[in-house]
Amino acid sequence: MDTELIDLIIDDVPVRVPAGTTIFEAAKTAGIEIPNLCYLKELGPYGACGVCVVEVENCPKMLRACSAKVAPGMVVHTKSEKALATRKLALELLMGDHDGDCQGPCKLNCPAHTDCQKYVKEIAEGRFADAVATIKETFPLPAAIGRVCPHPCEKACRRNLVEEPISIAQLKYFAADQVRKDGNEHPIKVAAPTGKKVGIVGGGPAGLTAAFKLAQRGHAVTVYDQMPEMGGMLRYGIPEYRLPKAILKAETDAIAALGVTFVNDFKIGRDADFAKFRSWFDAVVVANGAWKSTAMRVKGEELQGVWGGIDFLRAVVTGEKPDIGERVAIVGGGNTAMDACRTAVRVGAKEVFVVYRRTRKEMPAEDIEITEAEEEGVKFKFLYAPDEILGKDGKVCGMRLQVMELGEPDERGRRKPVPVAGKFEEIALDSVIAAIGQRNDPEGFADLPQTQKGTIAADEGNFSTALPGVFACGDTVNKGAGIAIGAIAQANEAALAVDAYLRGGEYKPVKPILSERELSEKDFADRPRIARAKMPQRPPEERRNDFKEVNLGLSPEVAQAEAKRCLECGCHDFEDCKLIRYANLLQADVKRLRGDYHPGFVEQKLVTIERNQRKCVLCNLCVRVCAEQAKQGLLGLVGRGFKTVIKPEFQNPGATAVCKDCHLCADNCPTGALKVIG
Amino acid sequence: MKLVFGEGSCGIAAGARKVRAAVEKLNAEGAVEVGITGCIGMCYLEPIVDVYDGGTLVKRLVKVQEKDAERIYKAAASGDLSGVKDLEISADDKEFLEKQTRIALRHCGLIDPEDIAAYEAVDGYKAIRKVLTMTPEDVIAEIKVSGLAGRGGAGFPTWFKWNAARNAKGDQKYLICNADEGDPGAFMDRAVIESDPHSLIEGMLIAAYAIGATKAFVYVRAEYPLAIVRLEKALAAAKKAGLLGENILGSGFSCDIRIKAGAGAFVCGEETALIESLEGNRGMPRLKPPFPAEKGYTQAPSNINNVETFANVAWIILNGGAAFAAMGTETSKGTKVFALTGKIKRGGLVEIPMGLTLRDVIFGIGGGIRDGGTFKAVQMGGPSGGCIPEHLLDTLIDYKALGATGAIMGSGGMVVMDSHTCMVNMARFFLDFTAKESCGKCVHCRIGTKRMHEILTRITEGKGREGDVELLQELCNGIKAGALCGLGQTAPNPVLTTIRYFRDEYDAHIREARCPAHECAALKKFEIDPAKCKGCTMCAKKCPVGAISGEPKKPHAIDQSKCIKCGQCVATCKFGAVEVK
Amino acid sequence: MCANCEKSDLSLLTPVFEAFAGDDHALISILQKAQDIYGYLPTDVLYAIADKTGNSPAKVMGVATFYTQFRLKPVGKNLILLCKGTACHVNGADSIEKALVEELGVGDGETTDDGLFSVKTVACLGCCSLSPVMMINEDTYGSLTPAKAKDIVRKIREASK
Repeated sequence: MDTELIDLIIDDVPVRVPAGTTIFEAAKTAGIEIPNLCYLKELGPYGACGVCVVEVENCPKMLRACSAKVAPGMVVHTKSEKALATRKLALELLMGDHDGDCQGPCKLNCPAHTDCQKYVKEIAEGRFADAVATIKETFPLPAAIGRVCPHPCEKACRRNLVEEPISIAQLKYFAADQVRKDGNEHPIKVAAPTGKKVGIVGGGPAGLTAAFKLAQRGHAVTVYDQMPEMGGMLRYGIPEYRLPKAILKAETDAIAALGVTFVNDFKIGRDADFAKFRSWFDAVVVANGAWKSTAMRVKGEELQGVWGGIDFLRAVVTGEKPDIGERVAIVGGGNTAMDACRTAVRVGAKEVFVVYRRTRKEMPAEDIEITEAEEEGVKFKFLYAPDEILGKDGKVCGMRLQVMELGEPDERGRRKPVPVAGKFEEIALDSVIAAIGQRNDPEGFADLPQTQKGTIAADEGNFSTALPGVFACGDTVNKGAGIAIGAIAQANEAALAVDAYLRGGEYKPVKPILSERELSEKDFADRPRIARAKMPQRPPEERRNDFKEVNLGLSPEVAQAEAKRCLECGCHDFEDCKLIRYANLLQADVKRLRGDYHPGFVEQKLVTIERNQRKCVLCNLCVRVCAEQAKQGLLGLVGRGFKTVIKPEFQNPGATAVCKDCHLCADNCPTGALKVIG
Repeated sequence: MKLVFGEGSCGIAAGARKVRAAVEKLNAEGAVEVGITGCIGMCYLEPIVDVYDGGTLVKRLVKVQEKDAERIYKAAASGDLSGVKDLEISADDKEFLEKQTRIALRHCGLIDPEDIAAYEAVDGYKAIRKVLTMTPEDVIAEIKVSGLAGRGGAGFPTWFKWNAARNAKGDQKYLICNADEGDPGAFMDRAVIESDPHSLIEGMLIAAYAIGATKAFVYVRAEYPLAIVRLEKALAAAKKAGLLGENILGSGFSCDIRIKAGAGAFVCGEETALIESLEGNRGMPRLKPPFPAEKGYTQAPSNINNVETFANVAWIILNGGAAFAAMGTETSKGTKVFALTGKIKRGGLVEIPMGLTLRDVIFGIGGGIRDGGTFKAVQMGGPSGGCIPEHLLDTLIDYKALGATGAIMGSGGMVVMDSHTCMVNMARFFLDFTAKESCGKCVHCRIGTKRMHEILTRITEGKGREGDVELLQELCNGIKAGALCGLGQTAPNPVLTTIRYFRDEYDAHIREARCPAHECAALKKFEIDPAKCKGCTMCAKKCPVGAISGEPKKPHAIDQSKCIKCGQCVATCKFGAVEVK
Repeated sequence: MCANCEKSDLSLLTPVFEAFAGDDHALISILQKAQDIYGYLPTDVLYAIADKTGNSPAKVMGVATFYTQFRLKPVGKNLILLCKGTACHVNGADSIEKALVEELGVGDGETTDDGLFSVKTVACLGCCSLSPVMMINEDTYGSLTPAKAKDIVRKIREASK
């Protein structure tokens, strides 16, 4: 009887299997995957997850493919509307009750999704070269970006809910510095040459990242830059005392070492027109940045002694020794304003003011930058806006300031500064540096359609432009100037798009569906407080006189201890998690059916298994393998209904020893609820 | 004369034993005979004492109290019943029984359940004697003719299940009686076991003979201690009489029946969960197929029927399947017992032929709504069933017709609701039940019922959102399709039917933050009618939060911002001045 | 109370094990008998049952926590079972529960500090015609009102003083 063969149709595919076969196994023979979370062939069907439901013609009820047996002439639809809807509902119900983070908030909040948790862990374990390799999976400039990044990762860090975030950025450049010092960086793998040529305009963070990624994929990449050295704003906009040029050079050299050609002092429109430039390559990436300072639009802006913030910084880097006199005002409250004021101190100004129209609380600059500027003697004039730059003989002699006050909050919640009618103040000055913003220069790129802002219009997903084979990213596109890691994020997408284009395809990014926990301080009330590592610095009175790096760097011991503070929010099992894979497959809305969560706890009662009940989907596989395969029966279901949990019953201390440490439970867990530790 | 006390659980709860004890105290000399019987089904009249004269019922006394014991005793001892005339059942109340047709309940409240002789005196154990002369196939054929269907809820043809178990291969077969009567609002199975345990035993023996089972279980819910005690006694008596155990009545047929007490889990009413529980496991349903007929208790062929089903079997054998099938409709044969409760005038157990209308039962037998209320809906089938509105009261009692309303016949719970019952809160109540009783195995039921309960709760709290009803409907359909067992597959029914027939109540909660039945506390508004308020200050004194103020002898007022909607003012006011809006 | 500190007289279980010897499916029945003996199911008793029946402690705990009848903690002297069945719901079981909470200061599944009362809501006591109903120990109280329920509890409290 058992050898009898049954013919049936699954998703229009004729299938012949022995009688007694389940629909699930029959589909598998035809290469049709039916999702499931609680099925294991060796244990037989269980029927809990409801994810394997299929529709069978002339059968009023949905069937669970894991258990329903084939019958002659059966017509099975594994992807019928009803089957998909029922399956999707199961996943949405599970996700709505799944109190876990697929990925750490650090990684999610990084525009480039750098795997912070992973490299922080590698640093914690003293595996610094591994950490650098992890960072370089995302971008090639860890030492540079670690120093300059305003680290959105740290803003999202859950450790904020305990005391202070992990020093993710400092750890990043610690690892890069250490590996450079030790000379043990893992070699970067480069694919076999494809024979395709890519030209990149701009050698800043975006251009260099695109070059790095495309070179790894075997394309011949040449980067063109208008300045004498590579690095873009990292070199010409960030002062030496924050990012030493030598460190940046080491990282750009490493990119060249992959076979990327650098061409400096080359400007589109001056040295070649864009159409011609395009003709040299199979694909082009425009990443020429935003190098024009935004004007203040006040009277007197044309006077001698008025500088743009980035122009001033660039002049200092290129050795122009700008004459700014003794009394200098910097207008603006961002990081460029901080770089400008602290650079002004260093080039010899006696009195440096920062004029900002809101208060310190609203300043967009990093808090640490403001503090360091204060330490170096910079004076802040809050709630003032430039009204007119006063001149004498065509040169700046002062500035009239409009007194401001804070009004109603705007749509972002920031209180808007409003002028106090008739209240003005004048200060005597030798120069004014306007650090209120920067924009791109579209000159030479007339062929590329622009946005209303004058930036190059690029697709937000794959950064293609209206011209085939031309991609654009970084500060020069769409919304304009942003932070370096934002430009890097775009460059990564653009590189994938260029690669796909060169291979005759098209890259369309899909936003992955993820599970994210919503937590508050309450959830961490019982965590021990551990202070964040303190970065050793040169004293203000010393550092204000030169351009040597202010920060002295973390020692390996301090760095490792700091890295160990990580809460490890992201799931260890993300890559293998069946639950999230199916949720993405079916485009499940993971938040729609959120409500109370089932009881959640984390425990380590088994020898080398950590059990996170919050992520458990009650597939019962761990209970079943422990009882039926490991013959231990250590785990059991406890309670009933929604409150059911899985627990080992170890009231007896020392009973943990009975766990054979076979890991079968963890191996078979469809989610990240079980984790092998130690 | 003989005084027979109705001592089912209801009667005992109402005080029957106290009255009997008082009578027995007076009856030290034995002037009257005192006996007990089970539940006659007129629960609303308990405690009930029947006065027999030479085996004939001469008077039925209702709502008797301890203080009445003396005159009852005297009346019986003297034979002059004029002193208890006021306790006599009214003509109206007599109708309650007269309009019924009793088969499953045929002996309930009429014989002493603890006396096997009393059962045998009413043709008890005659059917099994007859069956032992028939072939099993003939027995199944007779049941097939009767059209008897499973009375536990599913309504599956009984003969079919018996036949499947009979034809299944296996050396050892089991018969299981499902007495895990879990539907809140249904208690006919308890009544049968308490009042007529031998008819259950006899029905089971016939079934065991038909399918070839030699071992049987009665799975009784733990909340029925009296039923367990009476069944234990009955089993012992039957065994002693050679009606149970080895070589029954010398026929060569052997069958043993054991009681297994449940431990409190509604889901164990589901066949495969019940089997898991019998095996000593967590009562979590198994995948079907394989069905119990093939692989049931300890993987052996097993047949499960419910108490009421078995209670019909001996009657069918004695009177013929055709007599049973003569009653009812095309698709539903015989009679069905209903537990009529809620806002009903005459609540209790009602057995009627299939094919009567709901109106016949609720208004004809039950006497309509009590306290002058207005009928709103009847809930049938418990947590798996639905609410049927007024305009469908002429629906026939028939598996198919009731199913078409969105409700089900179910095990026979019939909970009547009046205009003070909020239908959204009713749905919430049932989902609270199913969410708590969900075994937790399958995702759709475990998380789905929990989410439905959360949504319904927020609606009853006035926090409902636009789109909640549609979300509920989507969840309902998904859970029906995806849940593993009957509990989950039918859990959405109370929600679906209340949405179907009372959508306006959902909308009133969500859109107007109003509970039309004035039941949902969060949406209630208490106001004092100044025209009725006498200023007695009682409500102000009673209010636990000091929300009521006013000068004595002048109309008071409620500060809505302080009011916690406890309703104490309403209960306190003697003038009906506090209105609930 | 610490689970490891429990020291129950396990010899009381001997007749139970004897009665169910050879029955591999008697776990629930054994747990019921054990609860009858101890009033609840102490952890050491559960372990002893696991040991004797050849079940893993995890399985025994799983069964003991699945069924509402089983208690892992001692209950008060008077166990109040408040019916929350459909008929009781329709006839105001919620207001009875509220009254009990007011009177006793404890809710479902809890025991009063003086150990006199434990409250447990149950799905249906099957006395629907007397709804709303509660059962205290062996006695059933029907047709309750909030005031009546409070009164009954007070009388029991008085009586046990």
